[in-house]
Amino acid sequence: MRNYKNILVGMLCLVLVFIAGCSTTQNSSEKQEDKEKNVNMIFSFKAADLDPHTGFIPIRSGLTETLLKLDEKSNIEGWLAEKWETADNQKWVFDIRNDVKFQDGKKLDAESVKQSLERSIEANESLGDSLKIKSMEADGQTLTINTTEPYPALPSELVNPYTSIVNMDAAKKEGEEAFKNNPIGTGPFKVKEFKANQFVEVEKNANYWAGEPKLDSAMIKFNEDPNVRALALQSKEADVVYNLPAESLDAIKKDSKLSVESIPGLRAHFVLYNSQSENVKDLKIRQALDLLLDRKSVVKDIMQGNGLEANGPFNSTLPFGLDEEVSEMNVDKAKSLITQAGYKENAEGLMEKDGKPLTLELVTYKARPELPLIAQLLQSDASKAGIKIEIKTVENADTHLAENKDWDLATYSNNTSPRGDGSYFFNTAFTETGALNVGKINIPELNTLIEKLNRTTDLDERTKLTQDAAKVINKEVAHSYAVYPNIIIGMNKRIVNWEPTAEEYYILTHNMDVK
Amino acid sequence: MFTIIKNRVIQLVVVLFILSLFTFTLMKMAPGDPVLTILNADEMVVTEEDQAELRSKLGFDQPLYVQYGKWMFNLMQFDLGKSYMSGKPVIEELLTRIPITAELTFFAMTIMLCITVPLGVWSAKYVNKWPDQFSRILALVGASIPNFWLGLILIYLFAFKLSILPSSGIGSYSQIILPAFTLGFTFAVVYARLLRAGLLQSLSEDYIYAARARGVKEWRILWLHAFRAAVLPVLTIFGLSLGSFLGGAVVVEILFSWPGLGSLAVDAIFNRDYPVIQGYVLLTGIFVVITNLVVDLSYYVIDPRMKRKEEALGR
Repeated sequence: MRNYKNILVGMLCLVLVFIAGCSTTQNSSEKQEDKEKNVNMIFSFKAADLDPHTGFIPIRSGLTETLLKLDEKSNIEGWLAEKWETADNQKWVFDIRNDVKFQDGKKLDAESVKQSLERSIEANESLGDSLKIKSMEADGQTLTINTTEPYPALPSELVNPYTSIVNMDAAKKEGEEAFKNNPIGTGPFKVKEFKANQFVEVEKNANYWAGEPKLDSAMIKFNEDPNVRALALQSKEADVVYNLPAESLDAIKKDSKLSVESIPGLRAHFVLYNSQSENVKDLKIRQALDLLLDRKSVVKDIMQGNGLEANGPFNSTLPFGLDEEVSEMNVDKAKSLITQAGYKENAEGLMEKDGKPLTLELVTYKARPELPLIAQLLQSDASKAGIKIEIKTVENADTHLAENKDWDLATYSNNTSPRGDGSYFFNTAFTETGALNVGKINIPELNTLIEKLNRTTDLDERTKLTQDAAKVINKEVAHSYAVYPNIIIGMNKRIVNWEPTAEEYYILTHNMDVK
Repeated sequence: MFTIIKNRVIQLVVVLFILSLFTFTLMKMAPGDPVLTILNADEMVVTEEDQAELRSKLGFDQPLYVQYGKWMFNLMQFDLGKSYMSGKPVIEELLTRIPITAELTFFAMTIMLCITVPLGVWSAKYVNKWPDQFSRILALVGASIPNFWLGLILIYLFAFKLSILPSSGIGSYSQIILPAFTLGFTFAVVYARLLRAGLLQSLSEDYIYAARARGVKEWRILWLHAFRAAVLPVLTIFGLSLGSFLGGAVVVEILFSWPGLGSLAVDAIFNRDYPVIQGYVLLTGIFVVITNLVVDLSYYVIDPRMKRKEEALGR
């Protein structure tokens, strides 16, 4: 009997030790708030270092800035460069702001911008190809960039966070390792402490050029599990949390201290067709499949309302998005198109040609959980029109689609306008050499438009060309766009003067404040 | 005893060789390579030419045996190569993460011991009474609950509902409790059953009756006589399951954002960061073999009969 008691006492002690161990750290952030303004955020991607030329965390954390940026409507505007001009799309002149200082006090001039851009091209595998810079000349606050060819997309590429401007003199002095943990940028915040893959703690840069930041400090943690992020928001451990799981939204909305922001994103989920497949080579079949894609149900049932029905490659809320109607599901029309393509309905209700039923292989992958669901929805709706779809789930879609030729269609997802411009997506997903053109799409009319877009500077004209190209894609049904998923952000209502933006580049700003 | 160590070292080399050969082949057979990720194709225009160029730069266009041979050759010089993603030497990546996982595993094992021993002894002492039934249910629950789910439930309870523990992160002791408990609990309750079984068996041995007849106190019998014999099978299983311990750490590390070996391995697998995967597998292999050796050697300490047997055999 005594043993039994001993064990019980032992276990009780253990529990007590646990509870005692917990009590200390929890309330420290709340105490701090009396004295200074502080926010806690959780990002869904982690950072192994803070090298701004290979990662996005520095710009997101307000450490660094780029020459140009996107405004809230995804138009390109000046940032560290006040204005820019070009006569021939090959020689570009940028006026660097005169009132900017790096966080260590050094004045920003064209020479430091030049050094920083050179470092970014050196450090980032693919940046050089996308900037196409031949040479740079720095003179006071004027930076002249010569590109290897007429290159109107240069401003859009200079929005890329990988081109963040940092003080390379400081980097040389402190060494590579220090630079990667504490880059000296021009942003409203500077690094206080960084722990690789865990968190970055930043404090305000009181001399910030656009005005003193409202917050004194911010703690940005990284956690890849969406459920944990949601719980951290609910327990008030975090004030802003990115990419919440849809199933947690109801509980969060019920909490009067929290709110959920669901904003249109720059990504599109779509169905892509394999132009090498005999089955979907016929435009009529692709048109039929497009009519069988129930976009309403995708938004309502799969995205639970957190998305917008798609009418083209780019989110229709963007300046260069299409304002056409979203095509509605129409089984009868789809059936008649399939019949026009030479198929007949057989006794089992399946469409067949030369005794062979129309059976398609649809490739999907799980990395984006909505895609397999879209695949299943299409499978069930296609069966209504007599098309049999076999779903194949693969682990690595990019490789599977590129290396195999026997697939017919695939569900896919892309950030179609990462820098407020459509040319990235056209060049990567539709040109002959594009890495993401796995369906080997080759539409001469589209190619001409893309080439023309690549040579055009005028913004209005670019918008028009982008829209024309999108219309060609729709006309040829090279892809069937399903939905533009929203970005779902949970925030504590004590955060004021801040709104999340679609591009997810500019997260911690000097205007963000707390009540 | 030295024969054992000598044999084990030879075994280690063979095991590691086969292990590395297997992972290398499996990795290369799995579809995909890190090229598109390195080139950031998600954000930037990448041509097929760029891809081909990088592939040949990384040597992916060479035959498999050449790639493996090169890796082996470098390994002989203790060079595990560099991570494709971070550009840092693999050794450095592993070394910065070992302490983090070690810390987590250490605390998880401590918690495990704190649960296993009392629970096992308790249920052996009250066989088929409620403590035994209780531990039986716990074992069933523990064996069935997936790690990540237990972790989420614990976060829900202690971070959200009770607000006494942080949901994730690393650094303070309060942040260790949840992940360590998540990892330790599922193993602990199962080991408790093993310990109970061992205890029951040894409690029915003649020497226990003899001890009781001599009037030895009951707690002495339990802890000094029976426990010692009962702990051997538990130790064996524990040594064998260290691999799954590390595997469990993978899930727990991601859940609680602990940047340890497990999360390194998962990232490496997703990104097809071959050198890091190879390095991780080797390290785990070495670790498991060495632990098993230590477990074997500990028999000699716990059970003197082993030593005598060896002496009798004249080794």
